[in-house]
Amino acid sequence: MNLKISALKFIEEVKTGNITVEEFTAKTIDRINQVDDKLHAFLSVNNNAIDQARNIDKKIKSGENVGVCYGMPISIKDNMCIKDTKTTCASKMLENFVAPYDATVISKLKKQDAIFIGKVNMDEFAMGLTTEFSAFGPSKNPWNIEHVPGGSSGGSAVSVSSYECIASLGSDTGGSVRNPASFCSTVGYKPTYGLISRFGLISYANSIEQIGPLTRTVKDTAFMLNIIAGVDPNDNTTLNNNNEDYLENIDSGIEGKKIGIITEMIGDGIDPEVMTATKEAISKLEGLGAICEEVSLEMVKYSVAAYYTITATEAGSNLARYDNLRYGYEMPVEGYEFNSYISKARKNFGPEVTRRMIIGGFVPSAGHAGKYFLKAMKVKSKLTKEINEAFKKFDLLIAPTVPILPFKIGEKIDDPVSLFLVDINTVTANLTGKPAISIPFKIVNGLPIGIQLMANSMNDKMLLQAAHALEKTVTLPEIPI
Amino acid sequence: MTKIGLEIHCQLTNLESKLFCSCKANYREFEPNENICPVCAGMPGSLPRLNQEAVKKATMISMALNCSTPEKIAFFRKNYFYPDLPKNFQITQLNIYGDTSVGGSGTISVGDKKIRITRIQLEEDPGRLIYEGSSSKNQITLVDYNRAGTPLVEIVTEPDFETPKEVRDFLNILSDLLKNLGVADPSLEGAMRADANVSTRGGNKVEIKNIGSFHDLEKAAHFEITRQESLHDRDIPIAQETRHWDDRRKITVSSRSKEEDLDYRYFLEGDIPWVKINPEIKTELKSKMPESISSKKERYVTKYQIPEQVADVLSSDKFYSDLFEESHSESNAKEVANIITTELMGLEDTREKREASKLTAPHLKDLADAIQTGKVSRNSSKNALHEILKTGKSVSQIISELDLGNVSDESELLKIIDQVISNESEAVEQAKSNPQTINYLVGKVMQATKGKADPTSTLNLLKKQIGI
Amino acid sequence: MVTVEEIEHVSKLMKIDVDDHSEYLEKVQTMISYFDILDSAGVESEEISMPEIPIEQLRNDEYIPFNEKLIEKMNHYKGTYVRAPKM
Repeated sequence: MNLKISALKFIEEVKTGNITVEEFTAKTIDRINQVDDKLHAFLSVNNNAIDQARNIDKKIKSGENVGVCYGMPISIKDNMCIKDTKTTCASKMLENFVAPYDATVISKLKKQDAIFIGKVNMDEFAMGLTTEFSAFGPSKNPWNIEHVPGGSSGGSAVSVSSYECIASLGSDTGGSVRNPASFCSTVGYKPTYGLISRFGLISYANSIEQIGPLTRTVKDTAFMLNIIAGVDPNDNTTLNNNNEDYLENIDSGIEGKKIGIITEMIGDGIDPEVMTATKEAISKLEGLGAICEEVSLEMVKYSVAAYYTITATEAGSNLARYDNLRYGYEMPVEGYEFNSYISKARKNFGPEVTRRMIIGGFVPSAGHAGKYFLKAMKVKSKLTKEINEAFKKFDLLIAPTVPILPFKIGEKIDDPVSLFLVDINTVTANLTGKPAISIPFKIVNGLPIGIQLMANSMNDKMLLQAAHALEKTVTLPEIPI
Repeated sequence: MTKIGLEIHCQLTNLESKLFCSCKANYREFEPNENICPVCAGMPGSLPRLNQEAVKKATMISMALNCSTPEKIAFFRKNYFYPDLPKNFQITQLNIYGDTSVGGSGTISVGDKKIRITRIQLEEDPGRLIYEGSSSKNQITLVDYNRAGTPLVEIVTEPDFETPKEVRDFLNILSDLLKNLGVADPSLEGAMRADANVSTRGGNKVEIKNIGSFHDLEKAAHFEITRQESLHDRDIPIAQETRHWDDRRKITVSSRSKEEDLDYRYFLEGDIPWVKINPEIKTELKSKMPESISSKKERYVTKYQIPEQVADVLSSDKFYSDLFEESHSESNAKEVANIITTELMGLEDTREKREASKLTAPHLKDLADAIQTGKVSRNSSKNALHEILKTGKSVSQIISELDLGNVSDESELLKIIDQVISNESEAVEQAKSNPQTINYLVGKVMQATKGKADPTSTLNLLKKQIGI
Repeated sequence: MVTVEEIEHVSKLMKIDVDDHSEYLEKVQTMISYFDILDSAGVESEEISMPEIPIEQLRNDEYIPFNEKLIEKMNHYKGTYVRAPKM
């Protein structure tokens, strides 16, 4: 049985009876058992998956209404709550936390008969770019297991690209869906801020993060978006998309669209292979009828510093609730006084999270807020103004998703600033709330390169059309695993 | 020069749900931790959902206190760790980026004085802590989140108060105002709390927290002023600090200050967008606002000629002014007001008595009419009122059952008067020489009629019969 | 410049016990020095922008109890309270 199919193809095959959900699910679990020891994408696998698949096959046979997912196996980044399931955020702090409710995206997918095949690995509390900061061990890039898969949604990207599942949901705060998608050669999407409900997503930096799908094709992403996007009364920051159909007219192409090439994102420090790939992508787009021209976003230079200042501040606050009193891990309160207990309990945060919390306590504190946090907020405002100006002239903006090729595990873990700068092309979309997508474009020396497109707020549909057009021009080699 | 400022926290207990979730706003009837959900218990992944009515009520309070109300309001996080704080931050309001809290500067009159309101903000109440175990070694802290997330309006005043009594008067006026607006019930335990700051003779400001009731607030302010004055007298400078009120020992005690805990790292709450309150909504709210106490008082005095004292008492009490509105007519307004303030309020002096009372607005109307038309004397009306409260029977029924009907028939009254005159010849003689003593005879007539005689007619007839 | 004392102070503020504050010093200092780049962004006069929502779109004031006994899903004491260390 071929596991290497898109979501839409899978659904078609199930509908026509060529495959059963149970068979496919069993094969998927086999695949996980076969490769995950090496790749470590999964933190936990759903033991009831085959039973659930059987039930869906029953429903299909009896002519009952079946949800549009038809039992599609989806992996979920372990920072989204699935009721009665362990949700750890890859942290020892939440080792024993069992979620008492479903995240909105989970309820929506459940209703459509998706099967959650397992929870996947991430950087602890989504703070990182390589999945090396997981408290449960790193994930490996299936294209070359000595290299990082990207992060923080590393497990998501690995599970999709290595055919351990058909699609995944990750979360993107500064590139955490697009970056691993680029490193593992899958599609990775960050919607307009507010398009997808964050209710049930364990917060890291709530003013800029979004849940996003990782899939094999752009059409699959559009399909997922149709299910999970839309206003949610449980999340005051969600926007009304008037039930937009993202699959409709996705083939309309890119003729006449104006695309801006962001100068600051193809500057110094970019790997020559990535630069070459970017130029190739631009000519392909021009070949499809788009008009490409350089555009400068000056604030990009400051975007990484602003991003880390703001996210550290928000993280410091969002993670304050982990005091191990109501949920967490086993540590009895006897013999402790309040402050000593929680300070000791919170030692279970990993070193990267601890570092970010220290920074997050420092930059908004009374003596330093003006210099760091407030300035960062102002950079965010100015960058938003700049990009809005750019979108007056351009329909889309383009840049390579990551300026460098996937690097080796351990290579950047001790160099925080060098690691920060891996994000330089992706944080802009988060700080400004604009939708952005990474499309797998090329494999060089066995390592994937992704190209990123951005559109203006609420232009997700047009963005997907453009991405689909570019994707059609690409043929990629098979993954070697 | 003594300066006292207040920070009053008022729970919006008349709302159905909490500020950021749909659990019940009034938590008092629940067993511990039975009124919680993932949002107010601070579970991972939960998000706040702002209560529309809470914003409206807070805006109304701001308007009632003559405060400015901005076009957009924002929420902030106040970050600190405490077991009663489920997220270890409180969502509250601040004015760091312009005026973004629900009410800006305003004033309220206390007697002749105008007290300035600094700002009004909407925020969430923390949970409650219960301590079990006696010795400090065995003591455990138990947390109940039922109250966490209850909507609070915080009213901050300038240090315009000069005496503890002014503070007390203000708090009473504020209580009545909030009750009158229908936003809160200050009589509920813990529904209104206040902290104070006190400075004397231009010295440092001392914050006083942990004050359980308004009564304690007056005491605490009094104690603190005395404490500071005595320090001044000994030339000892007043430390700028936070003290807490020790209710057992009735003193203020310096709180252990923790440097680290005082940095709240305030920043905007990213989960709640800025809320736009457009002018149409404000106009609508204003029109829906119940009549203010001062406006009611003025109306009672000018329209119904109700004496000022009576109007004062009546207008300040929402329950009774509502009753007045329902039961009065043009002709009997003064009488109804009189009955309420001189008799009814005294009889129904507790919440339980008020709730058990069977009196309704029509009863009151009928009773007032009966007094005015002379069907029952004012004296007898007191008995009638008693019966109404107890039995709920109609006024006419009670008058006949208890035989309270006025002896207003002149011939009957005359008969009784003549009888009294013949029995009390000595008193009659006295009355002829000293007219003031006629009251004794009036009393005798009242006795004979079991209080049903109309005192005025009795007096006139007596005078006529005696010939004075 | 960030000092070890400042790291001690902040880790107390954030309630995280750090065994060796100097261990964090280098990396934290590197990160915060990198943020100094914000000084040259020239954004002093920028206004902070925020998304908005009209009051009409806020949640209706309705009491809807949570459909489960949430306290049983948390670390609890005697099934009714959450237990905290002594104050």
